[in-house]
Amino acid sequence: MARRKIGSRIVTANVQEKNAIEVRGLSKSFRLPTEKAWGLKQAIFNRLRGVKGYRDQKVLTGINFNVKRGEFLGIVGRNGSGKSTLLKILSGIYYPEKGTVTVNGNLVPFIELGVGFNPELTGRQNVYLNGALLGFSNKEMDAMYEDIWKFAELEQFQDQKLKNYSSGMQVRLAFSIAIRAKGDILVLDEVLAVGDAAFQQKCNDYFASLKGNQTVILVTHSMENVRKFCDRAIMIESGKIVCEGEPEKVAKEYLKLFE
Amino acid sequence: MSGIPNFFYRNNRILLKELTRTDFRLRYQGSVLGYLWALLRPLMLFAILYIVFAKLLKMGGDIPHYPVYLLTGTTLWSFFTECTSQGIQAMVQRGELIRKISFPKYIVVVSTTFTALINLAINLVVIVIFALLNGVMPSLSWLLVPLSIFELYCLSLGIAFLLGAINVKYRDIASIWEVVIQALFYAVPIIYPVSMVASASQLAAKVILLNPIAQVIQDVRHNLVTVETMTSWNYLGHPALAIIPILLVGVVLVVGARYFHRQSRFFAEEV
Repeated sequence: MARRKIGSRIVTANVQEKNAIEVRGLSKSFRLPTEKAWGLKQAIFNRLRGVKGYRDQKVLTGINFNVKRGEFLGIVGRNGSGKSTLLKILSGIYYPEKGTVTVNGNLVPFIELGVGFNPELTGRQNVYLNGALLGFSNKEMDAMYEDIWKFAELEQFQDQKLKNYSSGMQVRLAFSIAIRAKGDILVLDEVLAVGDAAFQQKCNDYFASLKGNQTVILVTHSMENVRKFCDRAIMIESGKIVCEGEPEKVAKEYLKLFE
Repeated sequence: MSGIPNFFYRNNRILLKELTRTDFRLRYQGSVLGYLWALLRPLMLFAILYIVFAKLLKMGGDIPHYPVYLLTGTTLWSFFTECTSQGIQAMVQRGELIRKISFPKYIVVVSTTFTALINLAINLVVIVIFALLNGVMPSLSWLLVPLSIFELYCLSLGIAFLLGAINVKYRDIASIWEVVIQALFYAVPIIYPVSMVASASQLAAKVILLNPIAQVIQDVRHNLVTVETMTSWNYLGHPALAIIPILLVGVVLVVGARYFHRQSRFFAEEV
């Protein structure tokens, strides 16, 4: 197996640093299998026939940007433009292939709500599991346990298995846990896109409370949210930053894509 | 990067604890007897083997406390298979998690092996009760048993790391391992005594005792059940030979952990 080239992701505890995140020359591509069958048999065949068995799909090319401390940054772009990949690299889920990512402080990602939720466990058990994934000990969870259920308005379902919850209820519970997370930098992906009107309102209140006192990166398709919350925005198209600056300007550019 | 590790170490501990607990809960979810299965499964395997091999085929020979001797072997074997099979599958089963948050991947593997360790601990209590009922005298050598279990755990963990990392990409590994486990079962003296092999071929008996799994099982039997057990130490003759199984465990663990560590950054994309 050939060694792959790798960029670097550096995490420091330096929360005084002016930039919370610095991204320099970041590139990333994925290996997509060209054959339908994917496994040991195919790998051996490919080696014998001397074919690679995969092609490289470039997802991000030469991305540069900073996130200033305390800034609310929006990232917008079409489906498949590379936003989520960028977020996953910032969060340390994917490794950078080229370039460097420097994260100054503790970064808490919400790529999706309710990560690790298991339908076979009760609401109570899922709360503790999800809390552990956010870095909360049992004791810390005990302290905020009541508040989580009160905020989700689901107190009477605590000991039901999660598979008996509606999807809306699950999201409410997940969101209620997620907002307890404390980090120097929050990374949010589309979490606003779910729930009914009342729940949306709660989300908006939460985001409004973050603005100004927290470094946030928000990936969204809602230009309304970009205008309302973001101090600055960047737009990604085909793996490159094509527009950067005032939320108003970026929102206009984004809408032009669909004209 | 000083300053950060403290925070992360704490988080890793929390995560490991919670994942182990979840794993343990989920394994017996929806079954009437629940956690009791952790106890019943090895006991039932033992019952079958005891009836077939001890009663029908009369394999026990003149080994004292043969039922305890057999139970010790089957329990340790169950631990080894549980640890490795679950460990190898762990990364794939927790793929959802790996694709969505960033954390040290070894935690996933270690948490499943912890579940197996808890099961083993419960079963050891049963063995001790069984041994006392069967008239085995408690002795100081019992204190050496945890050392042997630690060795078996290191081996299982090494295998789980190595094969688990390959299994992320080539899912065939899990199926292949099932077959290997079947074959290994007969290569390890669990149902037959080593003395039976030795009477046919001394060389074969020596080769068998070079296997770390065999070495551990025989050591535990020697220290827990009866000193009349043939072990790597008293049969291979030379200390330099007897140390080979332990060296093998060390090699498997180091190679496995290093390979796993090197591959782990690709898991989120490949799983």
